[in-house]
Amino acid sequence: MIVARSLGNKEGVKIRQSIGKSIPRKETWEKVTGTTKYINDTSGEPGLLHAKIAISQHAHAKIKSIDSSDAMKIQGVKAIITGQNAPILTGSPLADRPPIAIDKVRYYGEPIALIVAEQEYIAEMAALQIKVEYELLPVVLSPSDALQKNAPLIHEHLAEYKRHEDVYPEPGTNIANRTKIRKGNMEEGWKNSDHTIEVEVTSPQSDHAAIEMRCCSAQVLPDGRVIIHSASQSPFVIRRAISQSFQIPLHKVIVHTPMVGGSFGGKSAIQMEFLAFLASRAVGGRAVNLVNSREVDMISSPVHIGLHAKIKLGCSLEGKMMAAEILHLYDGGAYSDRGAVMSRSGAVDCTGPYRIDNVHCDSLCMYTNKPYSTSFRGFGHPELTLAIERAMDLLATRVGMDPLEFRFFNAIGPGDTTPTQTLLDRSNLGDLPMCIAKLKTLIHWDELSLRETKGHLIKATGVCCFWKNSNTPTDAGAGAAILFNPDGSVNLLCGAVEIGQGTRTALTQLLAERLRMEERMINITMEVNTETDPYQWKTVASRSTFLVGNALLNAADDAIVQLKNIAAIVLQCSPEELDVGNGKVFIIDRPAVGIEIEKIAYGYKYPNGNTIGGQIIGRGSYAMRNLTLLDPETGEGNPGPEWTVGAQAVEVELNTREYTYKIIKAVTVIDAGKVINPQFARSQITGAMSMGLSFASREAFIFNDKGAILNPQFRTYKLIRYGEQPEYFVDFVETPHVEAPFGLRGIGEHGLIGMPAALANSLSIAAGVELNHLPLTPEMIWRTIYDSV
Amino acid sequence: MIPFDFEYYKPSSVHMAVELFQLLQNQGKKPVYYAGGTEIITWARTNSIQPGAVINLNSIPECSVMGIQKDKLVIGACVTLSALSEANPFPLLSQTAQGVADQTARNKITLGGNICGKIYYREAVLPLLLANSRMIIAGIHGIREVSIHQVFLQQLRLENGEFLVQTFTDQYYLSLPFVHYKKRQIGNVGYPLVTVAALKQDNQIHTAYSGVCSFPFRSIEIDQVLNSSSIPLAARIEQAISKLPGSIIHNTEGSAPYRKFVLKQTMADTIHILERR
Repeated sequence: MIVARSLGNKEGVKIRQSIGKSIPRKETWEKVTGTTKYINDTSGEPGLLHAKIAISQHAHAKIKSIDSSDAMKIQGVKAIITGQNAPILTGSPLADRPPIAIDKVRYYGEPIALIVAEQEYIAEMAALQIKVEYELLPVVLSPSDALQKNAPLIHEHLAEYKRHEDVYPEPGTNIANRTKIRKGNMEEGWKNSDHTIEVEVTSPQSDHAAIEMRCCSAQVLPDGRVIIHSASQSPFVIRRAISQSFQIPLHKVIVHTPMVGGSFGGKSAIQMEFLAFLASRAVGGRAVNLVNSREVDMISSPVHIGLHAKIKLGCSLEGKMMAAEILHLYDGGAYSDRGAVMSRSGAVDCTGPYRIDNVHCDSLCMYTNKPYSTSFRGFGHPELTLAIERAMDLLATRVGMDPLEFRFFNAIGPGDTTPTQTLLDRSNLGDLPMCIAKLKTLIHWDELSLRETKGHLIKATGVCCFWKNSNTPTDAGAGAAILFNPDGSVNLLCGAVEIGQGTRTALTQLLAERLRMEERMINITMEVNTETDPYQWKTVASRSTFLVGNALLNAADDAIVQLKNIAAIVLQCSPEELDVGNGKVFIIDRPAVGIEIEKIAYGYKYPNGNTIGGQIIGRGSYAMRNLTLLDPETGEGNPGPEWTVGAQAVEVELNTREYTYKIIKAVTVIDAGKVINPQFARSQITGAMSMGLSFASREAFIFNDKGAILNPQFRTYKLIRYGEQPEYFVDFVETPHVEAPFGLRGIGEHGLIGMPAALANSLSIAAGVELNHLPLTPEMIWRTIYDSV
Repeated sequence: MIPFDFEYYKPSSVHMAVELFQLLQNQGKKPVYYAGGTEIITWARTNSIQPGAVINLNSIPECSVMGIQKDKLVIGACVTLSALSEANPFPLLSQTAQGVADQTARNKITLGGNICGKIYYREAVLPLLLANSRMIIAGIHGIREVSIHQVFLQQLRLENGEFLVQTFTDQYYLSLPFVHYKKRQIGNVGYPLVTVAALKQDNQIHTAYSGVCSFPFRSIEIDQVLNSSSIPLAARIEQAISKLPGSIIHNTEGSAPYRKFVLKQTMADTIHILERR
């Protein structure tokens, strides 16, 4: 019986390459034809009820009473839920937040009641009829004020809050978390410092400004299953949080996340989901939809964290950095949420990517009477980088060194240790000096004058470096499954959420590379379903391609073994003699002999009908390795698998008559480990630069002295607009991270990290004053100049 | 989402519109006239206004005209700012209109709506103040034509139930030398810190301002000072600022001291350019 077939290709199987190609997104056609379905596109379904949030008009007040009788009288109102009906505390790592305020409100915009009605506008009408009697309390509006000994306490029962991960709140204060870094000997460090500088730098809270407002629906089925649809980065965390908070067996909570319309960290927090569940439970389990208006999305849902930083740096006469003393006061707002972890992350990378042997850092997450913070692209790093890179520029000037040369000279490298005393090598660190060198060439640094005056216009270029570790939990992980179809194509199942970053397409490229298969033969849907898709921690921290990528490579290897085993029987050889590629399993020494995958994907059927094997299903999983918690006294520990490093520059033209400015160029050189899809990588980094420049130049919530937000609309909250963008330049260095798929490093957030610093540095050079406070509006520059005279 | 019920009407004549207004008002429905709707929708969404009825003026033919009639430029109150800039019958007005909001919003915002809005910048009125335009206003007692200076004092002083139908501008003003500056907090879209529109007529510079005080204005005294060419420019500007008709505003766009700084610069630029033309 001849079963082996000639594949009709004397040259053998051509090995395909998928990595490094700019293939289009899998969801391109849906998006460009407007047929993509986002969560709220199904809000018109018959029978669906609608919920709205009534929000607090005070930033800090005791709730004396809530009268919802007028609201309840409105025809079509089904239920009204207040904090008393939902006496639970949520939040991770520190459970400090009731989904609806209980006893007191801690920020302007905090949910005080939830209304369920037949129509969205009825729920909104009723929300306006909720009458609350308050007793006003003094407000705390900055993290520095919150630290004062006599500051009003925002959380009186801090000691009693449940802790899910390592977090160190200090009861009796407004400190939600403190991370300490104690490395080396400070006395020694200062003794060896011939030059020292001190600087205070601030960045404000701001909005994530995703196009799609946060939206969620919930339904409790008669058999007790809870079905949640949510625009989220964390479907598996929603499942766990709903299960834990409401004592529902985990497997009975099913979360669906379709394509998400932008997120930037803002949809990683679990907020709306608690409310949607409470709403559905209050109406007998009927399906309830909850979507934020833009204004509520901006101020009631969690926001981008702020930072007040104090930096003291010292270096030797030659410019070698000797000591750093750093205080970070993160403006976490009314509840800690991921702000606690961001403050830790702000300690881990507090020095920036520089070799400093003596480091003392306290990084605190402070409670204030402002909207609470959650992750924002860069996770605490854009803020800390602004602070340390302003300090670096000051110190370079003090020493009299070129700012890039000073950074190159002090760049951290293999053999050095981080603030958490992790030993670095090429794999876990990448190559910062190479990034700086490439940046220098790209911007013609050596021919560039630092400051070029033409009439009342001054051109200047500011530079900075960045690094970022992911600060994931030590057990963050993911799974992947590969299901073969009888036409030889495969379905890839995984839990990474598509938020516009292109992850799900990039993952098909990793799989195509490993299976040596055409990408069009790999199917992936844009929806994640926690009941049928393998687990993934969350789609955050630029970690999806790493975690899911490793899982799917394991799954691919598992499938390859299965393919070879069955093909070996058919081809009458041993599996070791076989290889897989181009839709076939073939004999390595005789590539022309083999069998098409489609003939064995569901088992192989002999001509007489006998069948061996069955569907090929590859399975794989991966979890972080060798990570440790940080020592609470010294910060020693291993916070994540690797750093991504890079160097950035911004060129501005300042009008010295009006202090307006144009951003002319923005440049990033990043060590990407391995570029999977060049077009995606460039657009991620360019988009991140745009977001960073927008945030740095104009974005900020403006509060009055009572803590009310004065600009909760895009009429007055400024964002960078199309047409204002500078010329963008992106280039890559590729130093593989050995533990990552094909050596890749996270790049989703990193283009943003140094933009505030590079912009502040360029404008400081141009204006001739130290600009240490965001946003860098012309008025801010004017005021700094005016105040310094 | 607008959280209240309201009635909606779209009359096809001036007469029907004013009658409807009176009828609805008598029914206690607190009607409002509607042109582009951008402000009404914004304030209704945030529950800052609760009109019981909305009267859309867009089907009234007189409100949509734009063209020269007997040496006068006639612009209907419902002509959108983008249509106005596109047709460009009055370059200073086109430029001023072009500075309002963004393109998408200007496709909705109308000349009449911008002038009559609650948002206090009302920038489109500045060129009309400078061109001594005449306003055609409809009310229950019929149509009246009146000088802009008689009815626009900080805002358009309409009698109850009246609405702006058209503006008439003498053709003479359309081609005078002009400048328009809009200074914002940052970027190319947003409310003004300072908007200055200026025309040069018979060797005299006429200026009008928005964003400086909590209303747009033209001031004879300020223009007199600015035109006193015997005094050094910086001194003229100091004097002009002492004659502002109200206090300088402080809001999320900018502080009063910074606005003053920007105003001085902008006045200097205005004079500088127009003195040479």
